[in-house]
Amino acid sequence: MTAVLEARGLSVRRGARLVVADVSLVLAPGEAVALIGPNAAGKSTLVRALAGLLPPSAGEVRLRGRSLKDCGRDGVARAIALVAPDEAPPATITVAERARLGRYPHRGPLRPFTAEDDTAVARALERSGVATLADRPLATLSAGERQLAALARGLAQEPAILLLDEPAAHLDIGHQLRLFRVLDEVRREGVGVLAVVHDLPRAAAWAERLVLLAGGRVAAEGLPAAVLAGSAAGEAFEVAIRAEQLAGRPVYLFDEKPSPRG
Amino acid sequence: MSATRRRRVLLGLALALPVAMLAAASAGSVPLPFFGVLASLLHGTGLGAGAPLPPPSETILWVVRLPRVLLAAVVGGGLAVVGATLQSVFRNPLADSGLLGVGAGAALGAVAAVRLGWAGSTFLALPFAAFAGAMAAVLVLYALSQALGGGTLHGLLLTGISVSALAAAGTSMLLVATEEFRVKTVLFWLAGGLDGRGWVHFRIASILILGGGATLLAAARVLDVLSLGDEEAAALGLPVHAARLVLLALAALVAGAATAAAGSIPFVGLVAPHALRPVAGALGRHLLPAAFLAGALLVVLADLATRVISQNVDLPLGSVTAFVGAPYFLLALRQSETRR
Repeated sequence: MTAVLEARGLSVRRGARLVVADVSLVLAPGEAVALIGPNAAGKSTLVRALAGLLPPSAGEVRLRGRSLKDCGRDGVARAIALVAPDEAPPATITVAERARLGRYPHRGPLRPFTAEDDTAVARALERSGVATLADRPLATLSAGERQLAALARGLAQEPAILLLDEPAAHLDIGHQLRLFRVLDEVRREGVGVLAVVHDLPRAAAWAERLVLLAGGRVAAEGLPAAVLAGSAAGEAFEVAIRAEQLAGRPVYLFDEKPSPRG
Repeated sequence: MSATRRRRVLLGLALALPVAMLAAASAGSVPLPFFGVLASLLHGTGLGAGAPLPPPSETILWVVRLPRVLLAAVVGGGLAVVGATLQSVFRNPLADSGLLGVGAGAALGAVAAVRLGWAGSTFLALPFAAFAGAMAAVLVLYALSQALGGGTLHGLLLTGISVSALAAAGTSMLLVATEEFRVKTVLFWLAGGLDGRGWVHFRIASILILGGGATLLAAARVLDVLSLGDEEAAALGLPVHAARLVLLALAALVAGAATAAAGSIPFVGLVAPHALRPVAGALGRHLLPAAFLAGALLVVLADLATRVISQNVDLPLGSVTAFVGAPYFLLALRQSETRR
């Protein structure tokens, strides 16, 4: 498998602080990777750097073997979609209108939208489960519905790589399962999907590979069961993790670790 | 936001505007017959069979009323388009051209022209100086925001406020030093109004306003992407800072031309787009044309009101729009606060 997206020795500073330090990781087409890690581990920063939104202070991100800075902003946007928590888009724009703006990388400021764009938008709305909300202004939606609307915009982009920052944060369990099913469908079509996931059992159930980020560095990487069983995960989250089998599926139990006192 | 309702709103505005303009051309200190005005317009433009009005009325219509009403429409439409643009660029439904320092810069330019005596001696010196002042304020704003941090949204807003305050200080300083008999010229201009404006004002203003407005409309998709927020816009491949500066420059050009021609006409840029957003939709290609028509309608009617009322008291155009706009603004504010 060749990498569609690759970080090589990537470091990112925010102000004077080194938030991502010397991270190397690879995303192959059709691969599902969950990025896990405690709060302030640098997950969101890493995802934004992978999307080309934050410049590396060292190292580089390569898209299909080319450095992101040589791909051009529009070239990057045609290949990589980022779905991040809402930045409060204008309240009166509708779900469908916002999804349509996901076609901007393909059409630019002036070329008119075509039937191809209509199809991509309709499909993205359908898949994200917001087709019935298409004409609703964003202000009238719940947080979870807005999150699905953001996903619809990302899917309408028809990217080769889908990056998501906590896509399930506000979703009820039914919508969570639906979201990860959609991500699986997208992945099977050959899109490389990397998502920041806070819910570790969910991450382990969905992803083919976990990347554990702690203190801006990759602390562990590999098959979900192996990463969660390893000592790095317990140390990073300061919990004890125990895996059990229930109905043939792994179940994870977490216990607070007493903080070491002298 | 159904497409039919959007079309209905646009059609309604497109029908209301010419009727209002006809009414505005008919009313005034010398009332002209409504249908007589229509007939004279059809005759004069060669669009249909009509007949000119009797001699003095014909002159009043074509030399005084018509350019004034057309200028009112263009100025109002321009201010509304600028308001709609800035509200998307600043991602704030209550943004206005005041944020760019356009009004304050134009005032400084106008006062300087009067103080230096150009306004009395040179034709069109005042509007040109006002336009130059507006553009200078925006250039200073641009240079400062670049020097201070590369044009972030927050930086632009605060820099705009500072530039406006500086220009206002300069205006006060010059105004105090201006001979009393000249102060009135400035005051009339500052209060906003269309008295004495003719075809030359309309021609110059409409080229800048319609040209700038059409360019903004053509770039409406950029405006939409930008309104999603910096991060999402950048992720969609938009060079955010450059796009914002181009849009602000176009907005400043239109606002500068409108302000130079008519003085300060407050609240139009705020009220027209704000009122239309819920019915016309949030996308630029829907909102900008509707806002233009609504802003044009608003200023045509406000100017009509000043001329009807001014037969008893002198009422500047800027005051009329403020009397209507300020309460609207407060209501809109209360609505957005209670929705929170």
